[in-house]
Amino acid sequence: MYENFFYQDKGLFLQSLHPAAILAYLCILLVLALLFSNPVYLVGLLLVLVLNISAAQGGEVWGIYLKIGLGFALPIIIINALLARGGETIIWAGPNIPVLGRLTISLEAICYSAAMSVRLFIVISIFCLYNLVVHPDRVLALLSRFASKTALILSLATRLFPSMVRQMANIQEAMMIRGVDFQTGNLKQKLKSHAVLINILLLSSLEDSLEIAEAMHARAFGSGPRSSYQRHVWRPRDSFCLGGAILAFGLAVCAQITGYSTFEFYPRLGCLLKNTMAVFNLVFIVVFLSVPAVLSWGWRRCPYFNAKI
Amino acid sequence: MPVFQCEDLTYFYSEREKPALKSINLHVEEGDFLLITGGSGSGKSSLARALAGLIPYFYGGRLRGRVYFDGRDVSQIDRRLMAREVGMVFQDPEKQLVMTSVEAEVAFGLENLGLPREEMVRRVAEALSFLDLAGLREEFTAHLSGGQKQKLALAAVLAMQPRVLILDEPTSQLDPVASEEFLNLVKRLNEEMGLTIILIEQRLERCFHLADRVVFMEDGQIRYDGTPGQLASWAAARDIPFIPPVASFFARNNFATIPVTVKEGRRLLRQNFRYCKTPPVRPVEKKDTGKPVLVMDNVWFAYPGGREALQDINLRIFPGELAAVLGNNGAGKSTLLKTMAGLLKPTRGRLMLDGRDLNSEKRFVPGRVAYLSQNPNDYLFQETVEEELHFTLKNFGLTDDGVVNEYLEKLELIACRKANPRDLSSGERQRAALASILVTRPRVLVLDEPTRGMDGRLKDELGKILSGLCREGASVVLVTHDVEFAAVHATRVLMMFAGRLVADGPKKEVLGSSYFYTTQIGKMCRGFADGVLTLADALASLELLWPNRKQKGEARFIT
Repeated sequence: MYENFFYQDKGLFLQSLHPAAILAYLCILLVLALLFSNPVYLVGLLLVLVLNISAAQGGEVWGIYLKIGLGFALPIIIINALLARGGETIIWAGPNIPVLGRLTISLEAICYSAAMSVRLFIVISIFCLYNLVVHPDRVLALLSRFASKTALILSLATRLFPSMVRQMANIQEAMMIRGVDFQTGNLKQKLKSHAVLINILLLSSLEDSLEIAEAMHARAFGSGPRSSYQRHVWRPRDSFCLGGAILAFGLAVCAQITGYSTFEFYPRLGCLLKNTMAVFNLVFIVVFLSVPAVLSWGWRRCPYFNAKI
Repeated sequence: MPVFQCEDLTYFYSEREKPALKSINLHVEEGDFLLITGGSGSGKSSLARALAGLIPYFYGGRLRGRVYFDGRDVSQIDRRLMAREVGMVFQDPEKQLVMTSVEAEVAFGLENLGLPREEMVRRVAEALSFLDLAGLREEFTAHLSGGQKQKLALAAVLAMQPRVLILDEPTSQLDPVASEEFLNLVKRLNEEMGLTIILIEQRLERCFHLADRVVFMEDGQIRYDGTPGQLASWAAARDIPFIPPVASFFARNNFATIPVTVKEGRRLLRQNFRYCKTPPVRPVEKKDTGKPVLVMDNVWFAYPGGREALQDINLRIFPGELAAVLGNNGAGKSTLLKTMAGLLKPTRGRLMLDGRDLNSEKRFVPGRVAYLSQNPNDYLFQETVEEELHFTLKNFGLTDDGVVNEYLEKLELIACRKANPRDLSSGERQRAALASILVTRPRVLVLDEPTRGMDGRLKDELGKILSGLCREGASVVLVTHDVEFAAVHATRVLMMFAGRLVADGPKKEVLGSSYFYTTQIGKMCRGFADGVLTLADALASLELLWPNRKQKGEARFIT
């Protein structure tokens, strides 16, 4: 079940992109999500992510991410709506609460909370897309050019994590057979029984680490300067995707300067789209950011196109 | 000039008084296939590490004498050059893979050597193609099977283009099919590429015949160094179990030429026994008696992903039975054991223990079926062995009525009762973990591959302990890939395939009629004396054919 949350090679277009190109693209999406405050622009970003996640065949996993996101978003909306005092359009006035004062809900506070929730969904979706399309080893290979030891530690940690999860489950079963109860008891008792698990896991990991170190030593690790095995090629598709993202970023900076992508929530809601330029700006940003999704669509349907990019 | 030469090599691990290697004198010629065998703790792995230069550089300790590689003292050779010339594959594939993907793993050693990119790309491609791993280039190493992982470890070493390949029990964690494939690859490397191979092994059925020379080690010393046939004669005369059963059979019967394969063994049998009309030996099997202690009726189990690991299992386990479950990886053997132990709940069907329906219980109730997983380390964390047993008793709210001493004695752990279980040898760890689950006196004991990585003597000790428990009325069910162990110690054999039980019966019936899942002796005797599975059976059959042959001096066979 959990493997759906991690990268799985499906031979997709987005998975074939150069790690530098896809990482830059995702970084730009993240920056724009934090930059934009205009709900329409945020929805535009979410639309781009929906297209990409669909191209990455990750709809099912994304649904789970959204459910988790909703768990965070609902309390944000409720608490912000109840506590924010900046809005002038009061739609509900409640009782007086000691310390907090009179509870009121304004239209502005609800809209602000909703926009922040969309931003949260965007960030979660970027994370989801990253897991769907970026092979962790490729990122580490990219990183190893600049920080080889850090990359190696990360690689080892990534590799050992699934086996440690498996080992943890095995230890838990062994302890259950020996009468350790993980289900019942108070918090202290549960912590105590789980401490046994961690204890065994640490003991075994320490022993294992010596063997891994020996195997690395036998393969000349630490015997002198290392070279870096870079097997990724930069293709036209990487240039198109990165180019689209850079153009979108440029337009976003313009939109930020001109105020198209910003929005006044308090004290009263401002205008969503100030003029036609704001609309065109948004459309072009969405189009440029959709280049990977569009290329992915063409890649699946047209072998000629496939060969050319 | 030999590729390796050891001169009076003695080595002590740090803070150890007893030497791991004692006055070793050995030479290995270029292109040799050398097999080093011996029991656990005999010094095999230490010798391999000394040859690879890991001793003393990685382990520290004290070393006397010299190890020469190509006439140069290993201690004077640059580590990078040594790693390039001498590749080493270790026992556990899980503990030698570093990177997350297959391709990156193969490139890891090349990066350490500082090779240019173009050279690395070519070598990675060659190594992956040679070992038929090219299709898995982008695969996560965590997703590979045990056999694939070990092949990957070999590919990663081969990419460094070594002249010598040292393999330290590379098949101990693999199933028989993967082991066979791996050893065939190693043989190809020796024959087609001329690589010098030094193989450390204690399960000899599959590799004895591959070697040009066999070295037998005991107590840190080389006891014998000769051809496989010579070693077989020498070991058989001294009752040393480190020879394959076929070789042992002929050596014990004074054949001048000792065959080391089933094919050669059958040829000798044909020459000597063709006119034999004596009926095959079929010892009487004990029938199932009494009320079953564990009943599985139409049991199904499906994992959350939907994979049906158990399909319609119908099984009755009787008191005093030692049942061995055989089958390929993924057949559902471990799932069967966990279901018996109550760790997994059947998705359909009925599981009864002592007449009580376990399906009706909402939560796992421990103490009724003891389960020992593949890794005894999962059980051990206390300061002493004795405390491990007390820990289990305490969890069940039981007091020590002498049960701790009883099981320490039964499992021969009295001497190390105050020792830290993590400091024990592999066999002792296994017994300590076993004792920790037996103190509740369960009626059923289930074990998952308990003989993995054990030498012949330790396996025999374990077999005797389990048989002893059965004689006292306990039922033992164990999963194993070790057909030889099952043939000697089990009373009943179950075979699984794709989640189903495909065979179930007395061992002679199941193993005797199986074409692939049978012992080396069973394969050799097929057609001559059906139902003969073990060395003891074969020797008994011979005694029936030629009674008193030794006294009459008739031990003259055509060879």
